[in-house]
Amino acid sequence: MMIVHVLSGQIPLNFSDIVSAFNTYDATNTNHVIFFEFRIPRMTMAILSGSSLAISGMLMQTLFNNPLAGPYVLGINSGASLIVALTLLTGIPFFATDFGLISGALVGALLFGSIILIFSFYIRSHISLLLIGLMISSFVGAIITTLESMSAAEQLKSFTFWSFGSLQQTTLNQLPLIITGCFIGFLGSLLLSKPLNAMVLGETSAKSLGIHIRSFRIWVIAITALLTGTITAFCGPIAFVGLAIPNLTRMIFQTQNHKYLLLGNLLIGGIFMLTCDTIIQLVEPYFVLPINAFTSLIGAPFVVYIVLKKLI
Amino acid sequence: MISLNSIDVGYKTPLLSVNLSLELGNLYALVGKNGSGKTTLLQSIIGAIPTINGEILLDEKSIRAMTNLERAKQIAFVETKFMGISYLTGFEYVAIGRTPYTNALGRLSEIDKIQIATSLEILNISYFSDKFTTQMSDGERQLLQIARALAQETPYILMDEPTAFLDYSNKRNLIEKLQEIAQVQQKCILLSCHDIEICLENKLPFLIVSEKDKRIELRANASKEDILNLAFPNLVKN
Repeated sequence: MMIVHVLSGQIPLNFSDIVSAFNTYDATNTNHVIFFEFRIPRMTMAILSGSSLAISGMLMQTLFNNPLAGPYVLGINSGASLIVALTLLTGIPFFATDFGLISGALVGALLFGSIILIFSFYIRSHISLLLIGLMISSFVGAIITTLESMSAAEQLKSFTFWSFGSLQQTTLNQLPLIITGCFIGFLGSLLLSKPLNAMVLGETSAKSLGIHIRSFRIWVIAITALLTGTITAFCGPIAFVGLAIPNLTRMIFQTQNHKYLLLGNLLIGGIFMLTCDTIIQLVEPYFVLPINAFTSLIGAPFVVYIVLKKLI
Repeated sequence: MISLNSIDVGYKTPLLSVNLSLELGNLYALVGKNGSGKTTLLQSIIGAIPTINGEILLDEKSIRAMTNLERAKQIAFVETKFMGISYLTGFEYVAIGRTPYTNALGRLSEIDKIQIATSLEILNISYFSDKFTTQMSDGERQLLQIARALAQETPYILMDEPTAFLDYSNKRNLIEKLQEIAQVQQKCILLSCHDIEICLENKLPFLIVSEKDKRIELRANASKEDILNLAFPNLVKN
């Protein structure tokens, strides 16, 4: 899938280009440059974004004991979006750096993750919590729209493109930072697999099994914020992956053991985004399909299918 | 030994007063009217609800002062109803009972696996292993919950109406089996229960919620009349 993704794209590359690019890199060879400067970052971002969002969704679903939870529906993406909007639309210089952008999105995600967590203490109903998440999203949406209406055309354009979601804005030298962020998140989530397994039975049972609930919650929110924040900062708000992939993974793996579920999400999330982006690359000569629109086109019907299946 | 030294349990106003201690090697039956505070008492003993007055001591140590992990190695709790969770198998469910003993990554050791298998065997439900919890009946899930509590390998087990969804033969078998486990493995098991006749047949020591003065009486050799008089006085009058 990785190779198919790398080879698909507007400018045709073939397999021998990749091999020769690895063996003898030639800075004057356009194909080599395309491969390293564009295709590799885009492929890596596809895998990382899919895996990160899927794992974030898995963590949220288990934390809130709700298969319809996800970073997007609970407003954690919105938190990151808000900060990015402030960044791109107001032009504060600190935020213009990569590090500033990531830390901004991270703080936003963390802040909104904490808000929804606090709400979850008082609200037992699953549906109410999702509604509050949606309300937070639309509230933030309204603030962003207001910011948009006040900003200059150039800034508005770059923000709009960001909000479409894109995997190709990342450059090769930004990759190490993103990879580090995501890997810390992946490892952290795997270390949480034991409390996650106990949490499946609900908070009271997890507590009676010796899980320290408060620190568990804080870690889950921190890791979700790290993963969602990093990805949202660079790829824009990508919807539905975090909601649909964990459900798909559970269906495929037929288990509630989070050690396998998390690895499954890593794998399936990555493959899903690679597939989506390959399709986008294939149709690119004819029309531009934003990744955010595409994941929603696939994700929304799938979520409806899950809900319907549950009802029957 | 669990000591309930003059404690009052309840949420804001006291619901029940208790002054007694529970010894290892016994299966106790907690009986009383609906809403008389049985579940609240059980929840207080596991430390989920603070007591209003007094302290609950487990081997001289305050329950509330223990960490979740320390408590998890001492007391297991079985809730009345477990709804089942999609894609969670019977084995995985019982394995969660081993949480207090597994390493940071939750890896099951050989000992863990043996303990899980024995817990299922004791209740004759080994064939539940690969079955999804959502595809079990309420009664089957109730037995599975008890297997999880046994897998938790604690000296104390509290059960909230573990016989509620069981058929007549399973009810009888379960009470007998739990009594045997309590005696042979020197555990202290406390269960709330509405199947008074079965508990009487097995000569269980009773914890009776006295309807009149809202306190719990411990009776080692209770008769049906004692229980009715204390817990259901209006039934006797009519």
